[in-house]
Amino acid sequence: MNDMRLVERDVEQVTGKIEARGVQVHYGEKHALKDVDVTILDRTVTAFIGPSGCGKSTFLRCLNRMNDTVASARVEGRITLDGQDIHDPRIDPVQLRAKVGMVFQKPNPFPKSIHDNVAYGPRIHGLARGKAELDAIVETSLRKAALWDEVKDRLDAPGTGLSGGQQQRLCIARAIATSPEVLLMDEPCSALDPIATAQVEELIDELRAQFSVVIVTHSMQQAARVSQKTAFFHLGSLVEYGETGQIFTNPRDPRTEAYITGRIG
Amino acid sequence: MKEPHILSAFDRDLEAVQAHVLRMGGLVEQALLDAAEALETRDEALAVRVQQGDRAIDALEETINAECARLLALRAPTAGDLRVVLSVMRIAAALERSGDYAKNLAKRSLVLAEMRPLGGTSSSIQRMARTVVLRLKEALDAYIGHEVAVAEDIRARDREVDQMYNSLFRELLTHMMEDPRNIGAAMHLHFIAKNIERVGDHATSIAEQVIYLATGALPGEERPKAEMLPGADGAGADLAGGR
Repeated sequence: MNDMRLVERDVEQVTGKIEARGVQVHYGEKHALKDVDVTILDRTVTAFIGPSGCGKSTFLRCLNRMNDTVASARVEGRITLDGQDIHDPRIDPVQLRAKVGMVFQKPNPFPKSIHDNVAYGPRIHGLARGKAELDAIVETSLRKAALWDEVKDRLDAPGTGLSGGQQQRLCIARAIATSPEVLLMDEPCSALDPIATAQVEELIDELRAQFSVVIVTHSMQQAARVSQKTAFFHLGSLVEYGETGQIFTNPRDPRTEAYITGRIG
Repeated sequence: MKEPHILSAFDRDLEAVQAHVLRMGGLVEQALLDAAEALETRDEALAVRVQQGDRAIDALEETINAECARLLALRAPTAGDLRVVLSVMRIAAALERSGDYAKNLAKRSLVLAEMRPLGGTSSSIQRMARTVVLRLKEALDAYIGHEVAVAEDIRARDREVDQMYNSLFRELLTHMMEDPRNIGAAMHLHFIAKNIERVGDHATSIAEQVIYLATGALPGEERPKAEMLPGADGAGADLAGGR
């Protein structure tokens, strides 16, 4: 079939960032993720789609070892970031999470000022020498998150006082303040109105120039709008992984088609 | 057929627009048969009815386009659903053109009714029209049944119509060489033959949409072409079509 990629969606020359091989997750007796092999590309937005309980969020949480914090979770298989095994005992999970940032479904700003929300990560990771440098990081991060103009006059106001959309962009600013290489987003727009959603999507598209972005979404249209690659999960398995345009016009697997077209699958 | 959507109104919308395409197909088939019949029997009343009937075909195409625009805007179809909408729009366009050719045939048959008949040419044309209508019908049936094998077969058989056109072309040349007074009628009959041959091409393009609908890709390799006569398929002023 003809290549239907648009020029701006060309992902061919981009290299792999995260490699997952034979990843399995058990929560106690429940086999939540079955033998997932996938290569997440650098400087690309990858969307994970699938019905609730399909394993997409579980897999997302494997990528920065968030499942370590779940007592009953057992993760098997190999995941590498730039060729390095993230389960290597020499890897500090806190350092890993600075490299692989995360944004959650509900905006969860710290009960601190807007400035301190963003400054927190760089401060604990020692990324800034002195106040001037820290302020510069805060400004750059807020600008990248398209929030600067709205909050620059009230950086000392509490982050929790912002609107939902602003809070989510604040959390994104906080996540990118540590200069991560990968940004994981678990339904980042599900609590946002269409305008805030569009702003976050525009931001995701801009972040793609520097980061690898992985987004879990229940909105097919969002996956279609923002991603270059789409992975469809079903019953704990990765069913299909491909170029987003191909997935949405001509999926190879009938289960993918049934899901994205809204049929009982 | 596919399993139904969770949202059943989506299925109803898709079925409605496809039903309109089939109805349009039925009208176009009948218009072509009637126009060829009017030519053969010099039935002017029938020719006028065909001309007037084209309005209904055009109106159906507009309805289909409006329904497709609504489907795209409101249902955001993907994958197979998206291909249904896209193929429906292309098939409606092919049928609308075919309807215009039927109308043009009827118009020329009125002119030809005033002229001296040219041997058995009009019955050759009627035969060609019947073959093409059969091809259209098969293509639309293949569309409904998502029958790729049938569609491939229709594509492969396009040369039959091309051959009929080529032999008619030779026949008309002979008439014109025999007596220059035949030239006027022969020119009209030639355009009619050419237009029917184009309806055959539209039937082939509908068959290609069946393949696209089912597989997501248009057939790649060039379909077989009948031998080309010098000047038989050359470029030139196009009197055909036009609303």
